[in-house]
Amino acid sequence: MSFRLGFDIGGTFTDFVIQNEKTGEVWLGKTLTTPKDPSIGVMNGLHALLAENGVDGSQIVQAVHATTLATNVVIERKGERIALLTTKGFRDILEFQRQKRYDLYDFYADKPVPLVPRHWILEVEERMAADGSVVRPLDEEQVRDLVRQLTARNVNSIAVSLLHSYRNPDHERRIEQIIKEESPQLPVSISSDVSPVIREYERTNTTVVNAYTMPAVREYLRRITAGLNEKGYFGHLYVMQSNGGIATSETVQKYPARIIESGPAAGALGAAHFGKIAGYTNLISFDMGGTTAKICLVEDSKPGMTNQFEIDRLQLKAGSGLVINVPAVDLIEIGAGGGSIAKVQMGMIAIGPESAGADPGPACYDIGGTDPTITDANLVLGYLNPDYFLGGKMKLNKEAAIKAIDERVANPLGLSVTQAAWGIHEIVTTNMARATRVVSIERGRDPRLFTLVAFGGAGPIHGARLARTIGVPRVIYPAGAGVASAIGLLVADVTFDLARTFIARIDENAIGPMKHIYGELEATALAMLEESKIKGQYTLVRSADMQYVGQGHEITVTLPPLTFTDADVVAIRKAFNDTYEGLYGYSDPGEAIMVVNWKLTASCATPKVASRNLQKIGNVEDALKGVRKAYFQETADYVDCRIYDRYKLFPGATLQGPAVIEERETAIIVLPGDVARMDEFDNIIVEVAVKEEIANA
Amino acid sequence: MPKVDPITLAVVWGGLQAVSQEMGVVLKRTAYSEAVREGEDFSTAIFDADGRLIAQGDFSPGHLGSMPFAVKRIAQEFPPETLSPGDAIIQNDPQIGSGHLPDFFAFYPVFYNDVLVGWTVNCAHQSDIGGAGLGSQVIEKVSDFYQEGLRILPLKIFEKGKPIDSVFRMIAGNVRLPDKVLGDLKAQLNACRVGGTRFQALLELYGLETVRACTEEILQRSEEAIRAAIRQIPDGTYHFVDYLDDSGRDTDPIKLDVTVTVADDEIVVDFTGSSPQRECGMNSYYNYTYAYVIACVRSMTDPSIPHNEGCTRPLKLVIPEGSFFNAQPPAACGGRHVTCNRIFEATLGAIAQAIPQKAFAGTGHMANPIIGGTHPKTGKKFFLYDLLMGSVGARSTKDGIEAVASPWNARNIPVEVQESNSPILVECFEFVTDSAGPGKYRGGMAMRKDVRVFSEDAKLFNMGERQKFAPYGLFGGKPGQLGISILNPGSEQRILHSKGIYSLEYGDCLRTQTPSSGGYGDPLERDSQAVLNDVIKGYVSVEGAKRDYGVVIDSSTLTVLEDETKELRNILRTKTL
Repeated sequence: MSFRLGFDIGGTFTDFVIQNEKTGEVWLGKTLTTPKDPSIGVMNGLHALLAENGVDGSQIVQAVHATTLATNVVIERKGERIALLTTKGFRDILEFQRQKRYDLYDFYADKPVPLVPRHWILEVEERMAADGSVVRPLDEEQVRDLVRQLTARNVNSIAVSLLHSYRNPDHERRIEQIIKEESPQLPVSISSDVSPVIREYERTNTTVVNAYTMPAVREYLRRITAGLNEKGYFGHLYVMQSNGGIATSETVQKYPARIIESGPAAGALGAAHFGKIAGYTNLISFDMGGTTAKICLVEDSKPGMTNQFEIDRLQLKAGSGLVINVPAVDLIEIGAGGGSIAKVQMGMIAIGPESAGADPGPACYDIGGTDPTITDANLVLGYLNPDYFLGGKMKLNKEAAIKAIDERVANPLGLSVTQAAWGIHEIVTTNMARATRVVSIERGRDPRLFTLVAFGGAGPIHGARLARTIGVPRVIYPAGAGVASAIGLLVADVTFDLARTFIARIDENAIGPMKHIYGELEATALAMLEESKIKGQYTLVRSADMQYVGQGHEITVTLPPLTFTDADVVAIRKAFNDTYEGLYGYSDPGEAIMVVNWKLTASCATPKVASRNLQKIGNVEDALKGVRKAYFQETADYVDCRIYDRYKLFPGATLQGPAVIEERETAIIVLPGDVARMDEFDNIIVEVAVKEEIANA
Repeated sequence: MPKVDPITLAVVWGGLQAVSQEMGVVLKRTAYSEAVREGEDFSTAIFDADGRLIAQGDFSPGHLGSMPFAVKRIAQEFPPETLSPGDAIIQNDPQIGSGHLPDFFAFYPVFYNDVLVGWTVNCAHQSDIGGAGLGSQVIEKVSDFYQEGLRILPLKIFEKGKPIDSVFRMIAGNVRLPDKVLGDLKAQLNACRVGGTRFQALLELYGLETVRACTEEILQRSEEAIRAAIRQIPDGTYHFVDYLDDSGRDTDPIKLDVTVTVADDEIVVDFTGSSPQRECGMNSYYNYTYAYVIACVRSMTDPSIPHNEGCTRPLKLVIPEGSFFNAQPPAACGGRHVTCNRIFEATLGAIAQAIPQKAFAGTGHMANPIIGGTHPKTGKKFFLYDLLMGSVGARSTKDGIEAVASPWNARNIPVEVQESNSPILVECFEFVTDSAGPGKYRGGMAMRKDVRVFSEDAKLFNMGERQKFAPYGLFGGKPGQLGISILNPGSEQRILHSKGIYSLEYGDCLRTQTPSSGGYGDPLERDSQAVLNDVIKGYVSVEGAKRDYGVVIDSSTLTVLEDETKELRNILRTKTL
């Protein structure tokens, strides 16, 4: 018998999945996260799960992990004594950033604080030109002297980012060597390796994030590996990267900036997987937790990707975070979670981004919170069961929820508590609808052709309403909605994204360099795949960041199969014009086109097994737990609503809305007019009666 | 008109703002010039059929504040019966628009069921529009806007979805960088179209009547919110005088004389007493002055209220015709953005007296030098449009913000992008030690950038301010440092004029040093640990700490010598008394 293990550390819970490789059977586990040293929680939870199911660590063939550790190190500014070496004259790149204010009128809003303070930034005597030629040679003695100064100051990690190193990395590489000579154990991140692309602030910041998180990530992964060894597992530890691909712990220790969005990527990948086994490949992944909602477009079973994102945004405002160049699952994160606080602003209900979090928590938790939250509204509306929250582990106080909503929202607006609770539910849903439109309609995708996959603690409560609002006809609620991200880990492939900046017009002269670049990139990629020790089918996909000559922003275009002959020119041009037209609504086929970054995605696919539930007989009525009053817009009042136990439903079971299907960590709201059924993979699939109800509101 | 419930209102309002933001994303990502695509020197907004601003994107205050005037004019000149779906209008007249020819406005009438329901609008700074010098923002020796380039009064550029080629051709023939200008113009028009489509989708979803009712509510509630915030300002008359350095070599300063009167929930800003307009390319037309006055009023009241026409109702702006800040055609104006910080700051200086807790000190003025010439490798023209965005002055509760746009809101352009496109080498771009205006809270640091130019025929069109009159400190805070432009820094250096035009030799180096921003409160009250932190970071020298803050620091251990500091501060206090 052999098993695969996935574990995902979130803010509150650490989730586990063990899958039998042969049968596809899955066991789930959950334990409280231990924020101080998350490896403790992992080992406790793992120990319990293995014991419970009689599995020995030596039977595990692959362990895959998602973690928020790197993100937390950045957000909480936990890194210490991290240094940056930069080109003389450019010490202040990190502080300058790009200088635009993200809030037009608020001059009291501050900029993001750079990760490395100025006295840890040292200048190196050297200079490359934009074409990669050497303007001033590297002063190696000076570098050695600086490195010695830094080691004397007990530096923990060094980032090196020199101007134009994406074009010529020689100086950075030489500095790396010198550091290794002086202090072989010291972590070093060089920008030409971490992010070899143009624009000095973004590249430097990416390299700094890498250096900043490296000591913590190294130590953490080593501890987890040791823990796994203790349990008898001696195979590779794989970690989910922001791009949705997994990499070995050794690779991630070199490139920790790549795991910043580890958890959310696992969620999007899980959504893609659940959609696929249910027969749907075009999806909107909707993960709503305690503080935020994350929305991602999945097409052809692949989550959308971005080359750049912001970390540690202030109040989630665009432009207020630290920008990093890391290929990542392209998701929109908004301040809409169960704990998001509702308030009155200018005579209207406004929600978030402030969150009551777990402490003081929503008013109904009754542990000190007095602000009304989304969870309070959902309780008042009858969507949540006060006696079955977290499977009954926690009682919810409905009176406290009513009081909070009445005082802070209903009374000031002259609404009834029900109207106010409905308003809160509706507005947070439309906030998410707007975010969903950004990833769908605004990119030319028709939501009517998509299926929503709703998970996370609050996702299933809002999924159907969100679907109606944006016109999505179907919602999938995966089995184990609370651990969907952990399941996502088991379906991930080993994937690496490589990129190189080489600016070239797409004409006959580009073919030679293109061939040379892909020769090198492919050799690197194959070496990385070999190093990851995974058996399976290797796939290499070429793409390029391209633009019309004279423009400044590139779009990523999947390249057609290349022959490395002049015939490629026409095919590449066509691929660009088609993609551009799809994004912006027009194209200029006569204009010259150029490539800025040549990219390669290398992956190794391993076979996935899905667990089928073959028990197809049963009686839906046996799953009925009772009847409760719940409020729906369609009925404009509280109506009797049937409550079902998800764990007693079976493949083929069908039920009509209005209904609530309860599970331990969440509840699925089936709206009036909708029909829910369970499929053979234990997913619940709801067909949504889409109508333009808002127009009549 | 139906009464709108608070839920629908919130949803529609958010939707309208999203339309404006998305127009901005499309424009930025499809633009050609460094100014638009890297610098984000553009703006987007959405208006109703009556030409009232409903929502705007977070872009440049100068464009945004001017736009409502421009749209009202367009709506007058093009009544609904003259418009069809798929039409688009452009214009760049300084008086109708935002005060100089490079700012192109694109207007897209939005129809719903064959009825004109509103406008999607954007404005972008074009790289060149002809005239006396590359970039079309020459300040010296231009006497009217006919010398500044091609002036386009409002005209259609698209009709029923078809481009009017003759207009494009006419523009192409009158600008120095036709590829960039036409590329940006196409991006502008497409962004308008995309915005229009989104606006229509919103109408589909909620219906015209509901959206109209929401618009009324939005404007009314915004107005109420601003009025409530103005009521918080003590009634009274507040006066402030400051001077712009000059309008070119051997010219006099330009007086900014601002009187702010607050009465209950209304605010009157009066520029009477300011200098008259001049023959120079930096006169400010009314719309442009208005734009930075309203931006200041917004930031000093409640910045969180989304901006729309309602927010502008409690403000009255008085400027005599012919004033430097209400210039009359054909006053030249290409470099008028050199006045924007100053219009904002003069208004701020007056209001600050009424509400010190919301105020901030004089800003580190931006610099916007332009260098153009022939690229020795390609033989083609290059165009370096540089933006050094300055800093925000010290605030009542904290230091100023380093290296940030203020109040003009644009991004800097990466050095790597500049060096890839122009034959230059940037030798440094860094903060200047001991530059920030001292105070209990200090101002932002000055920035220095050295650019060496390798072209046989390069010309510098310099643009800077605050090289003679320093950014003010507030309530005991010291002023910021002056800015300076230097050719070939070193023993042979030559000080350049902030608004001069110069021919450069191959290999010449231009140093641009921005002013720093002013401090807030008495520097002798600054926390000595904060001073020490600045010393550790290298923002302040050990000598500077002693001189400017009265803080004595042991340079070997980097610790504050508390007793000596106390003593020194006492001595310095008696000295100033």
